[in-house]
Amino acid sequence: MAEHQSRQLQFSGSGGEYFRIWIVNVCLSIVTLGVYSAWAKVKRNQYFYRHTTLAGAGFDYHGDPKAILKGRIVAFLLFAFYTLVGEFDRVAGLAILLVIVSVMPWLLMRSLRFRMHNTSYRGLRFAFHGSTGAAYFNFLLLPVLSALTLGALWPLAQQRMARYTRENSTYGNEFFKFFAGSGAYYRIYLMTIFIGVLVFAGLMASVMLLGSKELIPVEAEQLVAMSVLVAAIGTYLALFLLAYPYVAARLQNLVWNSTQLGPHGFQAQLQAREMLGIMLGNVLLTLLTLGLYKPFADIRLARYRIERVALLPRGSIDEFVAGLQTNTSAAGEEMAEMFDFDIAL
Amino acid sequence: MWLTAVYYDGRQARPHPVTLCVEGEKLLLQGRDIVRREALASLKIPPPLGSTPRLILFADGARCEVADRQGFAEMLQDAGSSAVAGMENSWWYALAALLLTLSLLVVAYLFGLPYAARAAADQVPVYLLERMDTQFFASLDQTLLKPSTLSAKRRQTIQDGWQRLALPPGEDRSANIEFRASPALGANAFALPGGSVLLLDDLVSLASNDQEILAVLAHEMGHVHEKHALRQMLQASVIGLAMAWYIGDVSSLLAVAPTVLLETRYSRDFERRADAFAAELLRANGIPVSRLADILEKLEAAHQTAVAKQPVESVEAMDYLSSHPNTEERIKRLRGL
Repeated sequence: MAEHQSRQLQFSGSGGEYFRIWIVNVCLSIVTLGVYSAWAKVKRNQYFYRHTTLAGAGFDYHGDPKAILKGRIVAFLLFAFYTLVGEFDRVAGLAILLVIVSVMPWLLMRSLRFRMHNTSYRGLRFAFHGSTGAAYFNFLLLPVLSALTLGALWPLAQQRMARYTRENSTYGNEFFKFFAGSGAYYRIYLMTIFIGVLVFAGLMASVMLLGSKELIPVEAEQLVAMSVLVAAIGTYLALFLLAYPYVAARLQNLVWNSTQLGPHGFQAQLQAREMLGIMLGNVLLTLLTLGLYKPFADIRLARYRIERVALLPRGSIDEFVAGLQTNTSAAGEEMAEMFDFDIAL
Repeated sequence: MWLTAVYYDGRQARPHPVTLCVEGEKLLLQGRDIVRREALASLKIPPPLGSTPRLILFADGARCEVADRQGFAEMLQDAGSSAVAGMENSWWYALAALLLTLSLLVVAYLFGLPYAARAAADQVPVYLLERMDTQFFASLDQTLLKPSTLSAKRRQTIQDGWQRLALPPGEDRSANIEFRASPALGANAFALPGGSVLLLDDLVSLASNDQEILAVLAHEMGHVHEKHALRQMLQASVIGLAMAWYIGDVSSLLAVAPTVLLETRYSRDFERRADAFAAELLRANGIPVSRLADILEKLEAAHQTAVAKQPVESVEAMDYLSSHPNTEERIKRLRGL
């Protein structure tokens, strides 16, 4: 018998509780000149994972702080080396950047392995089996091609990356499946561009209108230039504020709604408007409190993003059998984090 | 004493409701179709973390989750608890950590970073710095900078005046003057990391006499002398990195404002030091210190009328007026000397 009752993910973390953990760990990280930050990171992940529950059972994180520390040191040295050399000799700096870029797909692949392998639910580990060759194709060739085409291929690249990360992931012995086509990605970005065009046209028209009725003091011959300028600045600000939450919400919905684990489906229902409210509030409060709101902001965003995802189980979710486990190094994950390669998992 | 828990065998996702109790040095776990008796020493018990369930990890990958944290602590006599875990639970420790963190950050900002940047700047070999200057001119000569329109004679006069200045003992004349014109930058002078001083035509024409130009050069030499350009660069990159890391995921653009604010204090200190250096040098050469104040006033006035001309900021150069709001205070101080 198929079972269709949806199971919402729950998040039980609280800002006050996380604030205490966060500040103690920030303090220890500073006192130890950053060494403790690897332990702090494990704790942070454990806090968020263990507070995330599905059908009454929590997730857990098993990353080894020492492995993460090693990764952090390598990443820090590479980055410091790149920055310093780049200041003195741009050609040498560029060469180092090229080296970093060319190992990045491998690092991303390793970091995915580390992250998945160290995530568990109900005592079973997740795992990642993606190949190096496919990592280079998806994380290097496609982004380079999309840059060469001025971003025209970016939605396709993003769809391929999501497919690579999902379809090579397993929970227990069950593979994830991903069936969103690149068309859905293009629709999200086209919609963003469409909103931008609407904002631009609206602003330009209203400035022209106000100007022609002499409600704003502009010379007639400068009116067009003026309205284009106002519309451009307005559109930039609007997209800057709106586009990120919009794209983030839509992408998360698309990715989860097109993901299956064995026969089980997922459902994500994020609202761009709510996402915008949360992100805007978080940024403002974090700035107003000189950064002290950060842990509360993290909890707030995590709660929203987690609780809007549900599992649509078909049959019993208790029957997974653990797959084989592999050991991986954390170096990849730390590099990926330090160099800020977001792959929207 | 008994505790209820959920047991996962690590091979299947099925939860097993079980009860736990401690018998001597062993943990007894009992469920409907499971009985395990394990030495406590063979189990891994992670420290508590906020209000998350307590865990018992078995060597074979099986795990037990206990929602009752109080009962868990009593039964296992606080096994797995750590000093850090205790601190994380207390608001008092959180407050103490907050105060300690803030004071450490302030100390690092006021003393640590400037000290480290100075120590690092002293380690950078001169040839690398000179290469930075070459690179600076190579990249800007085509765009921002134009060849100087001053006559060779005029340039020679300024050079000669500069060469005639008596330097403090132990000081070598490393600062060489590069003449350029730049409509975008207007009246300005810059000290570069490698010791070159970039003097722009507009500043030369703005000066009422050559002593004012010498005063500016003396100020720039103060920057060169203390490696301000390099130190500023190092401090700025550390602050920029820290900010990007902290605010990072929200928006890197938002990190710019606090970064700029934090750097202002450093550049203000540098300007003050360079002014002091210039004052001493001018006085030793019988030039009134007020000449520096005079030209500063003129520069301030010139820059205020030319706000429309957006000055293009270069991180590598010490802008003569980078501490803009402070110019008045600097003029006052120089007048008082």
